[in-house]
Amino acid sequence: MQVFKAMFKVTKKRLPSVLAYMLVFLFISFVHARSATKDNKFEANRLKICVFDEDDTPESHALIDFIGKSNNLKTIENDRDVIIDSLYYGRVDYALIINKGYAKKLSAGETDDLFGSYHMDENYSVVYMGQLLDEYTTSVKAYITMGKTIDEAISSAEEALSQHTEVSMLRLDKGGDSHYSVDFAQYFEFMVYILISAVMIVVCQVLVTMNRKDIRFRTNCSCIKESKYTFQLFFGSCLFVLAMWLVLMIFGIILNKEMYAGRAWYAVLNSLIFAAVTATIAVFVASFEPKENVLNLITQVLGLGMCFICGVFVPISVLGEGVLAVARFMPAYWYVKANNMIAETEPYSLSGVLQCYAIQTLFAVAMIVLSVLVRKVKYSSAAIGTSVKKIAVHQ
Amino acid sequence: MTDTVVKINDLVKRYGDLIALDHFDLEIKQGEIFGLLGPNGSGKTTTINCLLSLLAFDKGNIEIFGKKMTPVSYDIKKEIGVIMQNVAVFDELTVYENIDYFCGLYIKDKAERKKCVEEAIKFVGLEEFKKFYPKKLSGGLLRRLNIACGIAHKPKLIILDEPTVAVDPQSRNRILEGIQDLNRKGATIIYTSHYMEEVEQICTRIAIMDKGKKAAEGTKDELKRMIKNTETITIEILDIPDKVMGEISGLKHVYKTDLTDGKLTVYCSGGKHNFMRVLDVLQKNELSFGRVYTEQPTLNDVFLEITGKALRDKED
Repeated sequence: MQVFKAMFKVTKKRLPSVLAYMLVFLFISFVHARSATKDNKFEANRLKICVFDEDDTPESHALIDFIGKSNNLKTIENDRDVIIDSLYYGRVDYALIINKGYAKKLSAGETDDLFGSYHMDENYSVVYMGQLLDEYTTSVKAYITMGKTIDEAISSAEEALSQHTEVSMLRLDKGGDSHYSVDFAQYFEFMVYILISAVMIVVCQVLVTMNRKDIRFRTNCSCIKESKYTFQLFFGSCLFVLAMWLVLMIFGIILNKEMYAGRAWYAVLNSLIFAAVTATIAVFVASFEPKENVLNLITQVLGLGMCFICGVFVPISVLGEGVLAVARFMPAYWYVKANNMIAETEPYSLSGVLQCYAIQTLFAVAMIVLSVLVRKVKYSSAAIGTSVKKIAVHQ
Repeated sequence: MTDTVVKINDLVKRYGDLIALDHFDLEIKQGEIFGLLGPNGSGKTTTINCLLSLLAFDKGNIEIFGKKMTPVSYDIKKEIGVIMQNVAVFDELTVYENIDYFCGLYIKDKAERKKCVEEAIKFVGLEEFKKFYPKKLSGGLLRRLNIACGIAHKPKLIILDEPTVAVDPQSRNRILEGIQDLNRKGATIIYTSHYMEEVEQICTRIAIMDKGKKAAEGTKDELKRMIKNTETITIEILDIPDKVMGEISGLKHVYKTDLTDGKLTVYCSGGKHNFMRVLDVLQKNELSFGRVYTEQPTLNDVFLEITGKALRDKED
């Protein structure tokens, strides 16, 4: 495995630049994932409520207890200026006054003028508290109408209103598979750029180095078999691509906080196929033996170009038909399309996803065939002959 | 067991209507340092490429160590070391790693390879630079590394294609001494160059190539005997009367005279006392002259006479 070992050493020299790409990508993904996680969580908001109980009856006390269960009760001086200052400076969100005669009116089934309040205009707390008090008094009234005593009606209303529904944030606008959220899908989507950049920088440059004309000449003169040499290069390239892909997948687990499950496996497979496609693109580009600065240019054009027109940086939905027509000739488009289907930002269909896999695989096969053709022409005796002939003619 | 290491029979290589090798024959014996001499485009590199089976040819036969050479003759390739004009090493590997890599293409056994690599490093005098990367080496040291990569596996046949191009005189001498040393240790050497002084210095036998053909072959003395010129006398003199010029031209063994830029050049063919005879003529006619020197023919003279053009048509 002499060739493989040398390839490994050459790869090691290229790793710092790839690490820079990876770290930036992983950092951005991490920050993005953290903000996305918060966005997806539901947590009932507790308001800061102060209650002035002018009725001071067991019924009004029961209401205060009820409010206190889902809000934070604050105590402030019952002075208009103090209350207004507290509201203005956000020390309380809502000041509730339980009017005198609350218990009597409630027992009689009346719900008008039970409360007074201080609040900031157009504040969400007004709607929230209005709704809460309305639900409470209406429920008590309903139970009294049903023939229950006021105490029974209050406890029944409290029980009924304490029933909470489990809330999970289902963002229908952004896909709905619980194992493969849209935010996680974005991690896979941005992977296109990092895969192209890293694979091109390492695999392509290493192959160019290993197949440099003079080194290749020396290797061809040696007793290593051509098939063995090619296999070791192939094995080394595959190993690097696989290692890089694995790092990205492991980081995906860290971001997702759980192992891949459900449709997420389709995304994993999708990324593996795309990694293989990028490797074949790298092999194809390497067969032209570009110089380092040209290779960097090709890497940027391919990476950024595909990301911009294939829906990585800009969603496919906002891309024009003309751009999409071009994008369809690029593997990244089919990768993103499959990813969108898996995340359900596009209608999901398994056959559609499989079709995207197949098209990407076809790209890979086409790249391999083209690489073989280029190498055949480049390393054929005719090609060597042409260069020799050029020298001869120049004499 | 034959002592012929390389045998090329009737080799023809065409590129369309251009004939790169025209019925070329060559035989190199074991232990020789064989010089392949010729200007750029004469067919030297094509011959080497055909010899190494890197290039398909139209006609002919190549045998190395008595076996037919083909692209898959790995047993033959194992015994061949190639050192090309361009330095073919990895910039990403150290001196040691480079030699180890190329040696590893021939020798699998780690311990044996380590020994070979150490010996090659010692041979080219790179002991102090083992951990250096090629970019940190001077041109001369790079050439030595290039040679070490080609000979570390101890080949029986070493092909050197202009290994001293753009090398400083000190490194050049070291390389040439090294080649002779390899030869003394039993390796057969094929040395291609258009530096005639080098070929003259180290090669035991020389073939002159021109337009894909072998123009001449032999030891350097044999080659020099093939041409008319045996001695060239140069005299710095301001002017010389026609009468005296005629007298010199009429001397026995003198076949050509030339007076250019205050230098009289007298070309002689055979004879032992030409120099004294020419000086006698000048003294007899009381002509004063400056520096006088005489030269034996060089390979360049041989080439010039055989092919009708200068060997080194372009200085590297």
